[in-house]
Amino acid sequence: MTDVQTTEVDPPWEGLTGADLHAACMRAARAGDRQAMDRLVHELTPLVWHVARANGLDRLTAEDVVQTVWLALFSQLEKLRDPKALAAWLITTARREAQHPFGRRAQPVPLTDELAESMESTHPAPEEEAVRADRDRRVWRAFLRLPHRCQQLLRLTVLAGRAEYQLVAEALRMPRGSVGPTRGRCLESMRDLLAHEGGSR
Amino acid sequence: MNDLGTPGEMTSPGDEALLADIGRFMDELDPPPGDLVQRVQFALALENLDVEVARWERMNATAGVRGSDTGTITFTVSDLTVMINLTKIGKKHRIDGWLVPAGEYGVEVRVAEHGTSSTTADEGGRFVLDNVPQGTTQIVIHLGDVTCRRTVVTPTVVL
Repeated sequence: MTDVQTTEVDPPWEGLTGADLHAACMRAARAGDRQAMDRLVHELTPLVWHVARANGLDRLTAEDVVQTVWLALFSQLEKLRDPKALAAWLITTARREAQHPFGRRAQPVPLTDELAESMESTHPAPEEEAVRADRDRRVWRAFLRLPHRCQQLLRLTVLAGRAEYQLVAEALRMPRGSVGPTRGRCLESMRDLLAHEGGSR
Repeated sequence: MNDLGTPGEMTSPGDEALLADIGRFMDELDPPPGDLVQRVQFALALENLDVEVARWERMNATAGVRGSDTGTITFTVSDLTVMINLTKIGKKHRIDGWLVPAGEYGVEVRVAEHGTSSTTADEGGRFVLDNVPQGTTQIVIHLGDVTCRRTVVTPTVVL
């Protein structure tokens, strides 16, 4: 694991993780380094994806939104001075794109039971896991019935808990300090939804 | 936060348990498409990144032209609308396009691993590109004149 440092070859972000990695890549990208841009895209596309999906977009439209967000970022990178603001910028832009009034004239497909079922069917569960799969389906369905705001907050909460997404945790702390209670209410709604359709299966 | 829940309680899972489930679903049921990162990287591999991004407008979000033999796509950015009609001929596409408002603008179609085809729209804003290979495709339009150059690009789409 102790690689010899070959500074001429290794990019400056080599060996960095999390917020340090993103900051180093942003600096390099601002100087025109394409590799740094590719690295950021690689690291943070899942974040943008989950924000788009949480806002009720079908998968194809979510793909477009992810690309639009990245193109928008790199076409005006010099405006985003503080690397710490990157996650917040990506989240806000993805949400705004997802709700864009024109260009999204086809209303996003509502995340219905149908979608939950079709997702399930792409991952058929073996017989012995039927019980668990059934419970999973109920939990996922309850999640998809939450308001988009809740779905987004909960997806981001999950990402923020992962080491590579420290910056999401920082972004979540920013808006109005009401994240904790809101998250609690979202989870409570999810339990309600689960309780209502629970038991029947 | 204060309520960590009681793991194992079936009817009312705790916060941590629900978040763990959601995390698992995000990875297992709803991960980003495997080639999305690559397609974003292709979309960004432009000489000049000072671009405006157009948005695909789909008549029906679930039934785009992807996978079918013909179809029309519209994309828009502030003051420009571009309509593209695709006809599949063998393994290639013919692209008939129309820019509104009309102008003799440069149009490029980039296809991953196949380079770029380019043409110029006529004064009615119409353009045709033949023999466009299938694959991850991006459309680039050069607007304006020497004094004010603008470049409009679309996200990539697999055609």
